[in-house]
Amino acid sequence: MSLKSVAREPLLHFLAIGAALFLYFHFSGGGSGPTSSRIVLTAGQINQLVAGFAKTWQRPPTDVELKGLVDDWVREEIAVREAMAMGLDRDDTVIRRRLRQKLEFVVEDVVAAAAPTEQELQAWLAGHAAAFRIEPQVAFRQVYVSRDRRGAAAETDAKALLARLRAAGAAARIDDLGDPIMLPQEVDLSSRGEIARTFGDDFAARVETLVPGIWAGPIQSGFGLHLVLVRERVEGSLPPLSRVRPIVEREFASDRRTRQLAAMYERLLAKYMVVIEKKTEGDAPAGGAGKGGS
Amino acid sequence: MSGSQSGGSGRNGLIALIRAAFLASALTGSLMLPASDAAGAAPEVGGSTFPTRPLFGDTHLHTGWSFDAGAFGCRLAPSDAYRFARGEEIRASSGQPAKLSRPLDFLVVADHSDNMGLFTDLLAGKPELLADRKGRRWHELIQAGKGGEAAFEMLYAFSNGSFPKEMTYSPATPSFRSAWQGEIKAAEDYNEPGRFTAFIGFEWTSNTGGNNLHRNVIFRGNGAQAGLVAPFVTIKPFGSDNPADLWKWMAAAQEMTGSEVLAIAHNGNLSNGRMFPMVEAFGKKIDKAYAETRARWEPLCETTQTKGTGEAHPSLSPNDEFADFELWDKSNLDATAVKTKGMLEFEYARSAFKNGLALEAKLGVNPYKFGLIGSSDAHTGLAAMEEDNFFGKTTPQEPGPERLTRTFAKNPLTRVKIMNWQIGASGYAAVWATENTREAIFDAMKRRETYATTGPRMVVRLFGGWDFEPADANSRTPAATGYAKGVPMGGDLSRAPQGKSPTFIAAALKDAIGANLDRIQIIKGWVDKDGTTHERIYDVAVSGGRTIEADGRCKTRVGSTVDVENATWANTIGAPELITVWKDPDFDPALRAFYYVRVLEIPTPRWTAYDAKRFGVKPLPGTVMTLQERAYTSPIWYTP
Repeated sequence: MSLKSVAREPLLHFLAIGAALFLYFHFSGGGSGPTSSRIVLTAGQINQLVAGFAKTWQRPPTDVELKGLVDDWVREEIAVREAMAMGLDRDDTVIRRRLRQKLEFVVEDVVAAAAPTEQELQAWLAGHAAAFRIEPQVAFRQVYVSRDRRGAAAETDAKALLARLRAAGAAARIDDLGDPIMLPQEVDLSSRGEIARTFGDDFAARVETLVPGIWAGPIQSGFGLHLVLVRERVEGSLPPLSRVRPIVEREFASDRRTRQLAAMYERLLAKYMVVIEKKTEGDAPAGGAGKGGS
Repeated sequence: MSGSQSGGSGRNGLIALIRAAFLASALTGSLMLPASDAAGAAPEVGGSTFPTRPLFGDTHLHTGWSFDAGAFGCRLAPSDAYRFARGEEIRASSGQPAKLSRPLDFLVVADHSDNMGLFTDLLAGKPELLADRKGRRWHELIQAGKGGEAAFEMLYAFSNGSFPKEMTYSPATPSFRSAWQGEIKAAEDYNEPGRFTAFIGFEWTSNTGGNNLHRNVIFRGNGAQAGLVAPFVTIKPFGSDNPADLWKWMAAAQEMTGSEVLAIAHNGNLSNGRMFPMVEAFGKKIDKAYAETRARWEPLCETTQTKGTGEAHPSLSPNDEFADFELWDKSNLDATAVKTKGMLEFEYARSAFKNGLALEAKLGVNPYKFGLIGSSDAHTGLAAMEEDNFFGKTTPQEPGPERLTRTFAKNPLTRVKIMNWQIGASGYAAVWATENTREAIFDAMKRRETYATTGPRMVVRLFGGWDFEPADANSRTPAATGYAKGVPMGGDLSRAPQGKSPTFIAAALKDAIGANLDRIQIIKGWVDKDGTTHERIYDVAVSGGRTIEADGRCKTRVGSTVDVENATWANTIGAPELITVWKDPDFDPALRAFYYVRVLEIPTPRWTAYDAKRFGVKPLPGTVMTLQERAYTSPIWYTP
């Protein structure tokens, strides 16, 4: 890393500008910082309050309402300063958690600016193929035989129907065969999950195993018996990046955020010497309400 | 590396960090992603212009970003909720794995607009919140594992107006805005047209005095549009608890964003008589303007959910032997005021349909001409409403041996007590949309082509027209006939042709992995010349060849195969499909009327029976252990 390339790092510029601004405001007299007794509500901030109100009510606030907003803001500002002056911000678990959260946001924000490269996305897709794989799909025809209508005769009826269908072949007319039911007789290429949604998972699993072009059955479903002919089967495949780009980008970004934070802590940990004392008996158990929702 | 903290090494460290971030590296860990199907391929056979399969979803789900859900213990975010609904396995807030039997087709994460984002900040820590005495107390309760107590206190304070002003997350605060942006982003991330629809929405939680007037608001449009407004809250000065103000907000929001919006009211049963008023509301008369506005913005009502089912009540319908179903009829929402009998008429859907006809006769417009859906109102982030896979209403009711016998809520003043076992594993919304997209589902909701289910995914069709014939029931494509010769559920018939009575195709197909059907009923309501309303139930199709008598009722029950102890049942009774064409034998063309379908399954074990078996727990005396799941369609209205 040469000095020249370091000097070009945007983060460095950002930090330098921030430091300059901090120094400027620190030394420009009085000001209205947290330790002064002067509270300034700038025109810009007032506009923000008005904008927030307008966003909800679709109209600007009346004078009375605006006064309410301003009073509320002033009260909050006073509360924050007083609380900090009282040291309420120190040794406070929730404040510490919040600061941690803000630091993590800083890291995330800086990194989020950089878009992933083609290679990174391709590598991700290849590395997580199982999650993106397009399921195998099956297109089939089915004829329904109702146990409810036919009772004990249903099985024999179904087998007889199967023989007729086999004789008639794959293109047999099935409009008036079997029993009516609000299930499709012709089903286009669908994944196992889609078939299961209409026919149940057991049926979908059986259909997946059938040899295309031959009438088979009777196959059981929650509705009764079916005679099924698979018309077409398409094997599963991994889609090209162009087809699933938004999802890959989303998952990649999510994972990168997680790894970034881990890397950041690794790095920062190296700066510190950590000493952990031995736990003594009788320590109060840690109260826990679980990790914070994000 | 030494402990030096000179500016140089600190800066280099951060730069190195940034550089590291740009390196591609091998990634470990598994992703919870469903395999995508061919992009854009709709699952149905193409070519038809009418809907060919119902889409099932939940329009009312809360995550940890709702102030009460978070306090109860929910730690899931909207993204978790969408993943679960799409069929992925998720770790529930209680730590156990959770997965639906089948993915849902759509979901609205409808977190409370009031104090949106408050809970996550309360938990993660915000100094401003702790400067308030109540905020500190609630925070401490949550830290001590007593989040449920905090949640009830927060809800109570919210209802009676004593929620600390300093803690209120109004739409003007950055935290509120960022929470709303987060909700929008999650919906945008998981919305996949053709495969799964994630709607942007929120719940407007009007609960003054503990009387429930809640509505869920859904956007038809996208994140860029929804982001132009902040959700309407109930706390003044930014919000209001009056539905009329919500409707004003909706009109303005629609104008401003370019996205249509609609509102879905729920839990009339907890409104203590205020949900479907006849005379006045919030000090103003129920007039034509009210009726028009309400009808415009509220095309649907959520009629079955975990906090009770609100279709019918035995006191209002003494001749309906199926009216006593999953009732919560003791009080208002926070149990601060008990229920009196006079309130019921203005709380239940069937009664509202009837009164709506009467109001239409008087005002010229029917304010209660709404379609029906179900949803969960789960505060767990998990839309898991099947009896054998019920993940509770709030996190303390996620599966475990304790949930069967615990108390859900009690109010010592009013002596109202609600037990966990009374929570219903209900429901879902079924929508006849032409495709799985925001636009198609929203449009189907607006035209009321929807039905409610108490959990199972039966397929229900209803068509009304003047020319259906018995032979149409034998059709292989009843829907094609239905759309060609009539109107679907949610539609209108008017001006009966001379000498004709309305005819209906009513059909129901069992859930593919569910229980057989007992019967299909058509429930008719009408208003006579004196303004008196009436109702009548007709059994129109029943299983097992049972007799429907001359009065239109089948008195023979379907029986039961439920073995409560083992939590099992068998499809040896009932039918997998019922379909019929029915003509109204008591039709008067001069009278306004409505007709809707109620489908009943055969009895099956309730979630309480599954719990007793799985956890070896003895249920409390009086615990309901079986139920007949059902579906309710939107009505078809007749106008002379």
